[in-house]
Amino acid sequence: MAPFRRRNVLLVLLAIAIIVPPFANYYYLFVANLVAIYVLLAIGLNILVGYTGQLAFANAAMFGIGAYATGLLQVRLGWSFWLAFPVGGVIAAAVGLAISLPALRLKGLYLALSTLAFAQATQWVFLHWDAVTFGAGGFKTPPLSFDPLPISKPLGLYYLSLLLAVVLFLFAQNLVASRVGRAFIALRDSDFAAESLGVDLLRYKALAFGVSGFYAGIAGGLNSALLNFVAPEGFDLFQMVLQKAMIVVGGLGSIVGSLLGAGIIVILLEVLREVKGLQEIVFGALLVIFVLFMRGGLVGLLKRKVRGWEEPLRLVSRRVRPKQSETSQTAARTEKADS
Amino acid sequence: MPAIAQQPGVTSKSIKIGAFGALTGPGYLYGQLVMNGVEVVFDQVNAAGGVHGRKLELVREDDRCDPAAAIGAVQKLIHQQKVFALIGGGCSNATLAARDVIETSKIPTLINASVHDGITTPPAANIFSAALTATIESEAQLDFALKQGAKRIAVISMRDGWGRGRYTPLMAYFKAKGVTPVADEELTPDANDATAQVLRLKAANVDAVIMVLYPKPAAVFMRDASKFAFKPLAIGQTGIADPKAFEEQVGIPGAITQFRTIAMVKFTPEDSAVDNWRKLIETKFPGDRLSVFNLVGVGSAQVFVEALKNAGPNPTWDSMTAALANIKDLNIDVYPGPISCSLADHRCNRVPAWLAKDPGKPVRVLPSSGG
Amino acid sequence: MILFSYLLMSGVTTGALYALVALGLVVVNKATGVINFAQGEFFMFSGFVAWVLHVQLGLNYAVTFLFTIAIGFGLGALTDRIAFRPIAKADVVSLVLATVGIAFVLKGIARVLWGGKGDYLSFPSITSPDPITVFGLMVIPQQLAVLAGTIVILILFAAFFRLTRAGKMMQATADNAKAAVLVGIQTDKIYTLAFGTGAAIAAAAAVLTAPITLLYPDLGFPIFLKGFAAAVMGGLMSLPGAVLGGVILGVAESLAGGYIHSSVMELSPFIVIMIVLVFRPNGLFGFQTSRRV
Repeated sequence: MAPFRRRNVLLVLLAIAIIVPPFANYYYLFVANLVAIYVLLAIGLNILVGYTGQLAFANAAMFGIGAYATGLLQVRLGWSFWLAFPVGGVIAAAVGLAISLPALRLKGLYLALSTLAFAQATQWVFLHWDAVTFGAGGFKTPPLSFDPLPISKPLGLYYLSLLLAVVLFLFAQNLVASRVGRAFIALRDSDFAAESLGVDLLRYKALAFGVSGFYAGIAGGLNSALLNFVAPEGFDLFQMVLQKAMIVVGGLGSIVGSLLGAGIIVILLEVLREVKGLQEIVFGALLVIFVLFMRGGLVGLLKRKVRGWEEPLRLVSRRVRPKQSETSQTAARTEKADS
Repeated sequence: MPAIAQQPGVTSKSIKIGAFGALTGPGYLYGQLVMNGVEVVFDQVNAAGGVHGRKLELVREDDRCDPAAAIGAVQKLIHQQKVFALIGGGCSNATLAARDVIETSKIPTLINASVHDGITTPPAANIFSAALTATIESEAQLDFALKQGAKRIAVISMRDGWGRGRYTPLMAYFKAKGVTPVADEELTPDANDATAQVLRLKAANVDAVIMVLYPKPAAVFMRDASKFAFKPLAIGQTGIADPKAFEEQVGIPGAITQFRTIAMVKFTPEDSAVDNWRKLIETKFPGDRLSVFNLVGVGSAQVFVEALKNAGPNPTWDSMTAALANIKDLNIDVYPGPISCSLADHRCNRVPAWLAKDPGKPVRVLPSSGG
Repeated sequence: MILFSYLLMSGVTTGALYALVALGLVVVNKATGVINFAQGEFFMFSGFVAWVLHVQLGLNYAVTFLFTIAIGFGLGALTDRIAFRPIAKADVVSLVLATVGIAFVLKGIARVLWGGKGDYLSFPSITSPDPITVFGLMVIPQQLAVLAGTIVILILFAAFFRLTRAGKMMQATADNAKAAVLVGIQTDKIYTLAFGTGAAIAAAAAVLTAPITLLYPDLGFPIFLKGFAAAVMGGLMSLPGAVLGGVILGVAESLAGGYIHSSVMELSPFIVIMIVLVFRPNGLFGFQTSRRV
């Protein structure tokens, strides 16, 4: 019974996450809340990129759509946060589903570009559709109150974020272990083969986009409440890079990896405050080092080094590269057989 | 949450001052470089013995021009580093997002580079600004055009937070003056070509164009305008505060003879009046060249230090906030006009300087009557 | 008609700028199968290097050009050694992230070294900067230099890939690295050559375009996006495709700005991309060969 069994480590982390925050200062509470939000983003992205193999760059835009939807429903239509928030998540999921349709025929870098184009188009809408989105200046959201519960807003929002992160984490774990999850992986590794086995490509691709959209939308709604402010910055490509970094650092194809990766990157960004103007250099160098030395991310490392750390499904450890000329499919196949 | 003491960051020998703004990313001009200016003023003050015997220590935090990072930066400064006061604020949306946190904490704050009106209006008890706010500049731009007799005025702007912060009061002022802009075009901060915009403006017979642009898109615009021999009165703002650098950026000789711009600071870097600041900046930050961004920091830091002195030998948040509110007719070498705050209006810097440059001649400050 | 021809001309010259970045990306991709997300930063960094050589140190234009290309090549080769070769077999997201890391490092270094010198550094034009008349249209001479540079690089590299051994070896390596090794191609050297060349193209492009784009640490990424879009639209393996993609994007922007409104200029490239990819999911010149399952 190894002490570092994955389940034990996660339970300890959860215990810390529940007990410590009421005693921390506002700054730490803020960072902890950010971690919970990014955990949601990373899990959703990992489902799409790590499990289903879709090289999509739209997640930051979904994050924004969730934040804007939640905020605008409150500000423009007077809805309460408790209604606007889940609806915001659903709207983002719907958008995810919608963009999966044209994405069906696209693969690899072509999918990357089209989702990137979608993300830029979304930014454009946030910036230019003043009548609805308030344009570049952004807008303030109404203050959130947890009445009648006797809890302050920062603490209440944190526990809400934590609760959602835990619930959606468990949901994701179950999802990827189910038939759906196996279909996702089949899509990633060989969509032709999957189709020939009766896996409905469109349905599962759409599901993956929809699920990741939902997660990002919920994260966006929480973000709008955390900042009390929604503006186009913060949903741009830098944000997308951060999210990709989280899933790679944590481990592509691992839900737990998303959790760890999100925590590490958010905390890293705060720690990097110490190097002031050198943040970009240090962050970039760390990214390169992580990618070079941590194959399979942190979870891959843990699987190799720590006894008892069980991971249910195989990570993306082999070469999953889009090929412009498909004749190299054979080379890839021989490689897979080797690893 | 324990109540924050009235005197965090103050020891018998030093006072910790926090600065937030972009240290990385494109906003670093309004963050890092402005903070450099603040720091050399602090160095000077420290060399002369400090304020009431205490040395000033500047603690910088990066907000990357991002609202969430700005909240984090400010939270860290207030709750973790426990600084005595804040001087900073670069990108407008980031500072706006952090405004609530700053206001709730009650820490005395002097904004030096963010220009969005929402930061100072409605005023927060503890937040003051030494930056020329967007409304002041936008109104000055339209007034200038009208005073020069322009009849067909166009607007060309960037659509980001900074641009919108100026565009909105500008349009409101147009309406208030009963004037309609003949054309309203957009240019992105990274644009390399403005042919379409220039052609439209030219077709509309524009005689004055108000540019709510950073120097790069403005330079691209002026370059393409000269391609078509289109030379309206081109009115800039504090984003383009260095006409000499701008002339080089446009690159075509004689292209900026009709260019007039507002500066928050009345000297451009090559002016001998700022030699002492140039020496301090270029010694402390080797490789850097004195820029208007540094000078913005320099001016605001002098205002800040004056308030700190007036806050008394035993400064508290209350005394510092009161000292900031009571700054009246303070003359700072780099600002064109006196700095005055008041309880009702926390925008302390209201006087823009107008600059122009002719080819081969140094930058000149226009008399307040324009021309 | 004059309006249209001016818009077309400006679209083509801006498109040439995008095409230059796209060409560098395609060259690297043709040999390695990877998109270098640091291409924009290579471009920016080389531009600053040229500034140091020409403006600060006063070296003449030709010498600056050659040195900058050489330094660019070195930068590319270094990136290959550090960020590509050790992980050449990894999944595409990790590869992208490694080049993104390099991009951040270069941007940060540029900001530290040159960020304090001014908001946008100017670079002198290759000839007199005054506008001249060509076919009845006024153009800025530097834009013609950019256009000429694009065509030269296109022809040079098209010939390289089609006619030289090294070019053919590069294509073979991208197509099937294992088979390439089997026939005796030193794939490591090919990767270095590819990255170096891609960066050298970025360097040459930077020297040509610096007078127009001005130099600042954040120059790289927006230009990379347009170049990436152009390359993908062209089919990722096709040099003429990259140039065509760049020109299409530039012209779409320009026409949208002229005929609709300048506020849709930023949106139009992305609309064009989405439309092209719907009808040609492998880009304009890309192709889907038969897949063996």
